Amino acid sequence: MNVKSNGGLLHGTPSITIAGGVANSDSTTPDKSEASLYPTPSFTHPDLSLSSQLCVNHQRNNSAYSANVSLIDIYGADSIIELSPKKAQETETPMNANILDSLDTEEGDTTDELSVQNKVSKSFSTNRTISTSSIIPPGSVKSSDYESEMKRMLLPYPMSISKVQDILNSEFDMYGFKKETSLHVISRQRYDSWFKDYSEYLNNRQKKWELLMRANGLSVRTGQIPTRFPPKSDKVKKMIRRGIPPEWRGNAWFFYAGGYEKLNKHTGIYAQIIEDTRGLNNKDTEVIERDLNRTFPDNILFNEMVVTKLSKTSSTSFTNVENESETPMIQSLRRVLVAFSYYQPQIGYCQSLNFLAGMLLLFMDEERAFWMLVILTERIIPNVHSKDLEGVHTDQGVLMLTVKEYIPSLWSILGRTYDGEILEKDKILTRLPPVTLVTSSWFMSLFVGILPIETTLRVWDILWYEGSKTVFRVSLTVCKMCLEDPDFQRTGSSSTMGVETEQIELFQFLQNYPKCLLDPNEVVDKCFKKIGGYGFGSISQDEINHCRDFVSKQRAKMKDRKLSALNAELTDEERSILLANSNFDNEIHDVYGFHRSIMSGVVWNRNISSKMKKKFSRKHSTD
Amino acid sequence: MSGKKKTLLKVIILGDSGVGKTSLMQRFVDDKFSQQYKATIGADFLRKDLTLDNNKQVTLQIWDTAGQERFQSLGVAFYRGADCCILCFDVTNEKSLNNLTSWKDEFLVQSNISNPQDFPFIIIGNKIDVDDSKKIPSLQKKLNNIVNQLAVNANGLTYPVFETSAKDAINVQAAFEVVAKMALQQEEINDANANDASDDYNDAINIHLESEQRGCC
Repeated sequence: MNVKSNGGLLHGTPSITIAGGVANSDSTTPDKSEASLYPTPSFTHPDLSLSSQLCVNHQRNNSAYSANVSLIDIYGADSIIELSPKKAQETETPMNANILDSLDTEEGDTTDELSVQNKVSKSFSTNRTISTSSIIPPGSVKSSDYESEMKRMLLPYPMSISKVQDILNSEFDMYGFKKETSLHVISRQRYDSWFKDYSEYLNNRQKKWELLMRANGLSVRTGQIPTRFPPKSDKVKKMIRRGIPPEWRGNAWFFYAGGYEKLNKHTGIYAQIIEDTRGLNNKDTEVIERDLNRTFPDNILFNEMVVTKLSKTSSTSFTNVENESETPMIQSLRRVLVAFSYYQPQIGYCQSLNFLAGMLLLFMDEERAFWMLVILTERIIPNVHSKDLEGVHTDQGVLMLTVKEYIPSLWSILGRTYDGEILEKDKILTRLPPVTLVTSSWFMSLFVGILPIETTLRVWDILWYEGSKTVFRVSLTVCKMCLEDPDFQRTGSSSTMGVETEQIELFQFLQNYPKCLLDPNEVVDKCFKKIGGYGFGSISQDEINHCRDFVSKQRAKMKDRKLSALNAELTDEERSILLANSNFDNEIHDVYGFHRSIMSGVVWNRNISSKMKKKFSRKHSTD
Repeated sequence: MSGKKKTLLKVIILGDSGVGKTSLMQRFVDDKFSQQYKATIGADFLRKDLTLDNNKQVTLQIWDTAGQERFQSLGVAFYRGADCCILCFDVTNEKSLNNLTSWKDEFLVQSNISNPQDFPFIIIGNKIDVDDSKKIPSLQKKLNNIVNQLAVNANGLTYPVFETSAKDAINVQAAFEVVAKMALQQEEINDANANDASDDYNDAINIHLESEQRGCC
């Protein structure tokens, strides 16, 4: 398969490269501008202005794809390099043209939402294909480490043995991450031996997905990234849980998360925000600046040092890359984060959003990544990144309730404070166990930097399709796996150990353990298959929502109570008496009581928890 | 309290995001430095065993935190029981120096320390390896001002100041040895006062009262 027909797993990314721009600075202008069109404007040769990069749009009349349209308004028609649809198609490979034809036939000329969606996605995929094809024009590639690295990363699925070999020969994985970094616990050797098997799995899944697509009347051609996916169903859910083909991820996430609906309702907004936030300087942008290079320093697309190192060993034609002070990806990351902080002022910028945006940018363009962040923070994990991190407190409260309910053996360790007291159930919410400091980052970063990349991505596949219950299910799975790990059993089960030490051991173990979970299938299987007391997949979204509701209401009540006690016109002495008063205490405890009557509407999954309890008590009686 | 607990010293590193908290901790504990640290989310901790001058064996438990302001609301859980607090700034970033006072206040509020005026703080200015031209202009003068300001409510204490480079391993070891000694002293005081610490549950409420009272003086 040649590079030309590939969507490119890292589509835009490698374009650093840019290829068209840097490596082949004398290629034709339409090529360059097309290359820059997607996924992100910054991917072009530095001397192309942002406006010319963004404004190329041969689908101007398509109102759905209005980001570019409105950019044209902003920048004025003068700066536009226009391509007629015909001209644009000329730059495509014949295969792409066919795909477009077939899509057209399928869609018909209706104006319903789906058709608009398809047109939108068509334009994305067209652009992407063109951009990729122009990145490394056939015959013009000189061999060099840098180039071959970038070229390899453009290689698509299904992978042939030789491509797998390419990845095996590289320091970097298929997403541009260093297989082994100073902070990772996984050795290159271990990665490679896992990947050898996993690549076969990926091939199989790819074939299964193609069958699924065809069964749903969606055509798939080799090397093409689909933009439409089958409607949600049990079958599709199962397929998603087994993993979306890496190359399809961006489109599939966007499709199932409702990205098109969001994008269509807010046409042109992203471009407008980019314009409005140019040169913005505030508290948020300061923190963003400091985090840009601390997002994925181990990824070739995010770290100019990695690039520079590679380009130094390559031919002189890469001097441009060397002189770049930051990678195009970093520039995209900056724009998305600044735009987000501006669009969602109640959140602004919260550390960890950088990891989420960074991961999204590996799979989709800026505008889509932006809207995915909005969807995530509005709908999936609301308030988790807000200024008071209220959502973190709430979700950790919910997580602790579920741990207590479903993994009592873990709760017997978690539920203690450093001072060794057993946290009564009614205190779960007033004083979250310290270990929630570890688990709160799981929720904020959605496992980016917590689990190995592929495992994280498999969780994301499920998350965008199934929603926030996924984070709880996976968290419980990881906790239980950690607890049952022989290494933890060895350190953690010693009865001579003080409570404090035990807590700390658990904290540290829980912090490091997820980094070893290299095999996504192990985690996903444990999460969903009811074997050995796992199977947290039966915790429903309703249950989570009810718990969230419960926890956040209790927290609000607690807050009110404290405030009114503090604001009452009392002397300090009276206030101290009031606050120390046992009645007041009891009241709080009633409010926070983890009594089933209060948890109205919460339907616990008795099945799992009774099994867990049985198992736990059995274990204890045999001890 | 048990003899075992005496040797375990809890140290918290605070400071603006990007001043080098993680790097300092890594340099001290593992004697390594990487340009590739990621932003810290939540909190992280490492342990290191030390033998002090008097042959006293201690284990430092060093807590590294997220520098962004909003993460302080998560801090309650781990500020508690701290024996020493490192206030960290970046010698190239004046804001991070000026923010030390609010970091100190925030720590005292959240940790509910019983004797705030005696609590040991240490100040570390990191990144001294960088070019002088990039450093805060008249750093020493500004630093002295801040240190004096920090010590206003302290019982005649002066807080030790170290200028370090986690990158080039300058002064990091020395700073943490002082941290260990200060933490050990504090731990011994805590142990002596252990009987007084009866009421734990109203911490969250007491916090606000305390801060109000401080506002009055």
